[in-house]
Amino acid sequence: MAKEIFMPKLSSTMAVGTLLQWFKEEGETVEIGEPLFEIMTDKINIEVEAYDDGVLLKKYVDVDTEVPVNHIVGYIGAKGEAVPANSPGIAGGETDVREQAESVSIQQELSHNHIQTEEKPRATPAARQMARTNKLDLVFINGSGPNGRIHKKDVLLQLEDNTKATPLAKKIAAAAQVDLNTVAGSGAQGKIVKADILSALPAKSMESEPVLESMEIRKKMSGIRKVIAERMAQSAYTAPHVTLTTEADMIKVKELRTSLLPVVEKQTGLRLSFTDIIIKAAGTALSRHPHVNASVVGDEIVQYREINIGLAVAVPDGLMVPVIKDVSSKGLTAVTMAAKDIGQRARENKLLPEQLKGSTFTISNLGMYAVDAFTPIINQPESAILGVGRIQDKPVAINNSLEIRPMMTLSLSFDHRAIDGAPAAAFLTELKQILENPYELLA
Amino acid sequence: MATRQITYLEAVREAMSLEMRENEDVFILGEDIGVYGGAFGVTRGMIEEFGPERVRNTPISEAAIAGAAIGAALTGMRPILELQFSDFITIAMDQMVNQAAKTRYMFGGKGKVPMVLRTPAGSGTGAAAQHSQSLEAWMAHIPGLKVVQPATAYDVKGLLKAAMDDDNPVIFYEHKLLYKTTGDVPEESYKIELGKADIKRSGTDVTIVATAIMVHKALEAAAELEKDGISVEVIDPRTLVPLDTDTIIQSVKKTGRLIVVHEAVKRGGFGGEIVSVIAESEAFDYLDAPIKRLGGKDVPIPYNPKLEKAAIPQVPDIVEAVKETVKNR
Repeated sequence: MAKEIFMPKLSSTMAVGTLLQWFKEEGETVEIGEPLFEIMTDKINIEVEAYDDGVLLKKYVDVDTEVPVNHIVGYIGAKGEAVPANSPGIAGGETDVREQAESVSIQQELSHNHIQTEEKPRATPAARQMARTNKLDLVFINGSGPNGRIHKKDVLLQLEDNTKATPLAKKIAAAAQVDLNTVAGSGAQGKIVKADILSALPAKSMESEPVLESMEIRKKMSGIRKVIAERMAQSAYTAPHVTLTTEADMIKVKELRTSLLPVVEKQTGLRLSFTDIIIKAAGTALSRHPHVNASVVGDEIVQYREINIGLAVAVPDGLMVPVIKDVSSKGLTAVTMAAKDIGQRARENKLLPEQLKGSTFTISNLGMYAVDAFTPIINQPESAILGVGRIQDKPVAINNSLEIRPMMTLSLSFDHRAIDGAPAAAFLTELKQILENPYELLA
Repeated sequence: MATRQITYLEAVREAMSLEMRENEDVFILGEDIGVYGGAFGVTRGMIEEFGPERVRNTPISEAAIAGAAIGAALTGMRPILELQFSDFITIAMDQMVNQAAKTRYMFGGKGKVPMVLRTPAGSGTGAAAQHSQSLEAWMAHIPGLKVVQPATAYDVKGLLKAAMDDDNPVIFYEHKLLYKTTGDVPEESYKIELGKADIKRSGTDVTIVATAIMVHKALEAAAELEKDGISVEVIDPRTLVPLDTDTIIQSVKKTGRLIVVHEAVKRGGFGGEIVSVIAESEAFDYLDAPIKRLGGKDVPIPYNPKLEKAAIPQVPDIVEAVKETVKNR
């Protein structure tokens, strides 16, 4: 029997995924473990591997389409095996109406009585069963009974009506005032699907407002961009941010790095970076100031035993914060290896979901740019974030004489709900002292 | 089989007479069942054929009648007792519920209670509140008792023969108003297995499960509704215990709608049991309308004939209920 291929759920918060590319064509042989398609979630891009051997019988979902978790995107099976012409929808039968409604972004823009009132549609058991068998969503069926109760005949009507367009397509068409007769269907037997309506939409607006269209480039925020937007705004609104800055004299770090470079390179083939040393230093400082390694959860402050440092990494579409786990138990070499690994994976979009989870403190390093200091926004639910500026030679007064020293600004934003100014300052001072005496990191 | 038309009452008498001719252990007992022929004339003429030993008049004590029957049954006889009105079962309640129903079980099967309690039930004769009740749900609730409610002359004969054959106590409810109704009944002896419902009329839009006299009212309503293009299936369970759930479930699966009609007061009536059977069964998923129950009003049966009629479901009530139920057909 043909096996369903569905949109995997890769994190507890994942509701939808965008299919970025298929690696196989319909009819091609697929082996277990072979990459089948690539998806973008709110956190990562990841290749989804085949769970079954066989032939890719059907691809229901086009590239760049957003589909809900567990939505059937295709089938694998024996050559020539029959599969449904259209995706049967969510795998496993019953669909949580509201969850699905949330996941399909276009639906959020449309007003729909049932969704607005969040009421379960009233339907007779027979109507429910018939809808279930035909994979129809009761939300899209108008009930003719008392208080809108859906009867079997209403489902039958919907089924007959459905020959031309999917319920979702009809809703969108109605909201956007698109005449279904003007849209060519790309589904089975010419059925009009959501994509058909959507592709008809821009053409329509171009006609009505051609000037405005040409002056702007509009791109809907989706996937990672949307998540960053939401998270940053949420963090800035909920956590009272205070940012402390200090300068660290990096001369000894430079010396340390120069002397350790060949050692680490010989061991690992990797080059020890300033970032690696700063991660290790921050880990050591956190172990001495555990109240900074904490979260506000509800009305509690949760202090973590493990120090997991998130490293903000710029990727083409935005920003990711992969995590180096248990930094305090790792030596400089291990930190280097871990940091290089996640950096590389982030740039290549190959991060594993677990590599994005569980950070307790974040470092954002803009030292490669002409940036001295900035106010980083806390990566919630953490309570603090360290912003690292460039290392710049500056004149510094030392023992009544002026010296040129490689100085670096550290900016610590902390959540004043969890941490007060003095303990945050003590942590930052500790970090500065470690960086100015970095040989203790080797102890 | 040679068939002729006889009344429901005659069918009761014929079943008893045939059984008594076949089996010497069968005898009947009750108040005034001898020369007088019983309160409704069911046993008229039987004393002439079978004599006062086998057609025994008893004192006016339902408890004594039932107790004597149970004792006789335990000794190997097969008594049929007649209570003048089913309302008087209350007086025989201890005997029926605490003795008849449980003896076989509590004796580990060492003693059987093969007896039939025959009794006229229901309203419609202006006999007022103490002589017009439908209390079958009480008896159906007691494990160990079988409960029969025949609606036609044919069913009466076959079911009574089967009840007399049964080694367990059977309560056999005869409806007073049905005594004079006639039907095709074979002359020969035949039995209708207890626990087999009868589809009195086939239909596709709604299932009516009706008992006793309500079977006839449902059939009348069905004929009327047919003119409006509504196809009604009427099922008569015939026995409440054992209940033929399968036939009812299959019918509801077919029609997707259910109405239960009985004369007994709706609250706590046996209709609730039938509805529950459907709610618990695979037929639930086929329901396309809420189930309806039609039953007697929440009053003692009135003496005034008009009020008496108003207290129980009538044909127009059934027609209305069906129309309401099939509205979203």
